[in-house]
Amino acid sequence: MTNIINYFQSSIWTIVSFIMVTIIILIPLLSFLSYSFFTVDNVEIIHEFSLYNFKEFLTGEIYIPTFFRTLLLALTVMIACMITGYPIAYFLAMYAHRSKYFILLILIIPLFMSYIIKIYMMRSILGYSGLINKLLMMFGIISEPSEFFLYNQNAVIITLIIILLPLIIIPTFTSLEKIPRNIIEATYDIGCKPFQSFRYVIFPISLPGLIVGAVFVFILALGDFVTPQLVGGTSGFTYGKIIYSNFGMAFNWPFGTALASILLIVSVIIILLTNYLTRKT
Amino acid sequence: MSSILELQNISKNYGSSVVLKDINLSIENNEFFTILGSSGSGKSTLLRIIGGFVKPSGGDLIFNSKVINEEPIFKRPFNTVFQDYALFPNMNVYNNIGFGLKIRKLDPKTITDKVEEVLSIVGLNDFKKRMPHELSGGQQQRVALARAIVCEPKVILLDEPLGALDAELRKQMQLFLKDIQKKIKTTFVFITHDQEEAIFLSDRIAVLNNHQFEQVGSPKELYYNPKSKYLASFFGECNLIDGTVDHINSDIITINTAFGKINVKNKYKNISQNQNVTFAIRPEQIFLNQNKDNNSFSTKVDRVEFKGAVTNIILNFPKNIKIKVQINNAEEQIAINENDQFNIYFDPNFGNLFVND
Repeated sequence: MTNIINYFQSSIWTIVSFIMVTIIILIPLLSFLSYSFFTVDNVEIIHEFSLYNFKEFLTGEIYIPTFFRTLLLALTVMIACMITGYPIAYFLAMYAHRSKYFILLILIIPLFMSYIIKIYMMRSILGYSGLINKLLMMFGIISEPSEFFLYNQNAVIITLIIILLPLIIIPTFTSLEKIPRNIIEATYDIGCKPFQSFRYVIFPISLPGLIVGAVFVFILALGDFVTPQLVGGTSGFTYGKIIYSNFGMAFNWPFGTALASILLIVSVIIILLTNYLTRKT
Repeated sequence: MSSILELQNISKNYGSSVVLKDINLSIENNEFFTILGSSGSGKSTLLRIIGGFVKPSGGDLIFNSKVINEEPIFKRPFNTVFQDYALFPNMNVYNNIGFGLKIRKLDPKTITDKVEEVLSIVGLNDFKKRMPHELSGGQQQRVALARAIVCEPKVILLDEPLGALDAELRKQMQLFLKDIQKKIKTTFVFITHDQEEAIFLSDRIAVLNNHQFEQVGSPKELYYNPKSKYLASFFGECNLIDGTVDHINSDIITINTAFGKINVKNKYKNISQNQNVTFAIRPEQIFLNQNKDNNSFSTKVDRVEFKGAVTNIILNFPKNIKIKVQINNAEEQIAINENDQFNIYFDPNFGNLFVND
C-alpha cells in the first residue's frame, strides 16, 4: 500500500516538474521560434507561415560569411581560453596548496559582476589612452598609441577571452583536483617521468572538465553581441550583432528569430556532439 | 640468500614530531617480509621511504649494495600495490596492466604476451576490457597486483593491500598473495596491522612500535620468543603474571607470585635476585589436571568459553588474577562448569620472563 502511495507521490512530482519546465522554458521558446516562420511588411508582422527568412539567410550576401566568421571567432576564443586556462587550473590544483581556494575565489568574483561593467573595464584597458597603450609607451615599445587593441576583431577576441576565462578554469580545476594523490604517485611508481604521467593519466582524467569549460566558452562567445557592440567597432561585426540589430534597429523580429533559431540549433548540435564524444573517451 | 635491500639508520620527523627513529633493516632476496605495526606507528611512512615517495630525514637506503637515497621514484626497480589500489580510471584492466610496459617502450607483441601471462596468473582473463569502476574490490586488488608484477620489479611494496576487503575475501587473497610470491620469486615487502595475517604470510616480520623496531624475526621466533612483554601479548593471547625473583640456579629460576612459587627454565643472562619480573605464558602452554610437586596450582573456574575447536577456561586466582587456559577439543571433553575446582600445571620449559623496570 505504501508502495503505491510512494509511486503516486513520485509520479505527481514528475508531472509537476514537467509542467513547470513546459511553462517556464518550452512554451516561451516555442512561441519565440514560431516567429521565424512569419514575415514583416513595413513594421507590421504578418502571421502567415513562410520560409522566406530561411531563404534570406541562405541567399543573403552577409549572413553565411558572418556566421562562419563568428564561428571562427568563437573557436579562436575557445582555443585561447583552453591554452591559457588549463595551465592556470593545473598549477592551482597541483601546486597552490593552501591558497588555492582563495585564488579560485578571486577568479570567480568577476562572474558576479555585471557583464557590461566588465566590458567597459576592458575598454578602458584596451583603449587609445588605455592601460596597455600607456604601459607599452612607458617601456618604449611603441612611440604612439596603437589602435591594435580597440574597435576591431582583436578587441572582441581579447575581451571575450578575459571575460570567459573563469568558465574554463573552474570545471578544469574541479576535475584536476578530484584526482587522488595516489593515482599520480602510482604513475611515477609504474615508471612514468613527470611528462608521461601528465600525458597518459592526468590530462585524460581532466579532459572532460576542460571540454565542459570549452563548450561553455564556445557557446557564449558564439552568441555574444554586447562585446562586439561596445569594443568591436565596424570591423568587429559578429552574427550576434546581426541578430541584435534585427530586433533593435530593423524591427524585423521574424528574421531575427530565424537567425537566432539557426544559432540555437547549431549550439545544441555542438553540445550533443561533445557530450557524445566525451562519453566515448 | 643475500640481502637485496638495506635500511641504515633511517629516520623521519615532521618538524618536531618523530615518525621513525634509527631504523635498521636488511631484507633478503625473494623473502616475504612484513612490517607490522598498529595505525600511526609509521609503517606506511617507512614503505613510502623505500618506494621513494617520502625523503628520509636521515640514514641510507641501500639496494644491491648501492645507496639509492636520491634515486627518483620512476627509476627505482620497485613497484607498489597501493592501499586503495590507485588504478588509472581512464584505462581498462588490460591497459592498466600494460601501461608500465608501454612506458618502457617494449614492442607491442611483447607487451601483449606479458600482459596475457600476468592476467592468467591473477585470473582476470575475462575482465581485461572492463574499466576499474566496473570491478569488485577483490578484482581491483588483483589488477593492482598484476600491474605491479608485470614490470618485473626487484621488490614489490604492498601497503595494507587487504585492508579494505571483507574477512572471507581477505583470507582468499592472503592465500593468493602467498602463492603468487612463490610463483614469481620476488621480494615482497608487506605492510599490515593484522598479526594473524603477518604470521600466516611472512618469512620474517619486523614489529614497529614507538617509531622503532621492537623485534625482527620469523613468525615462530616472534610467537615463542618475544623480546618484550608488549610483543608477547601483541601476537596472540598471553597470560602475564607479575612476580619477583626468589632464587636463581644454573637451570631454574624460581619466582614468587601472588599465588605461589613458579619454576621457569633459566635461559636468561640479565636476571638477578629480587628483581621484579613478569612471567608470560600462552593459554595453550598451560596443562590441566596434572598434579606435580612443583608448579602445580589448584583453583576455581571463573568462566568457560566453548569455541568449537578449542575451549578457553578462565581460572580465578587470588588478588583478582585471571589465567586463561586453552584446551584442545579433539574429543568431546568431560563437562567443565563454573566454580569447579581445577588443577593447572606450568611446564618449566614453556613461557618467558621479562624484567620490569
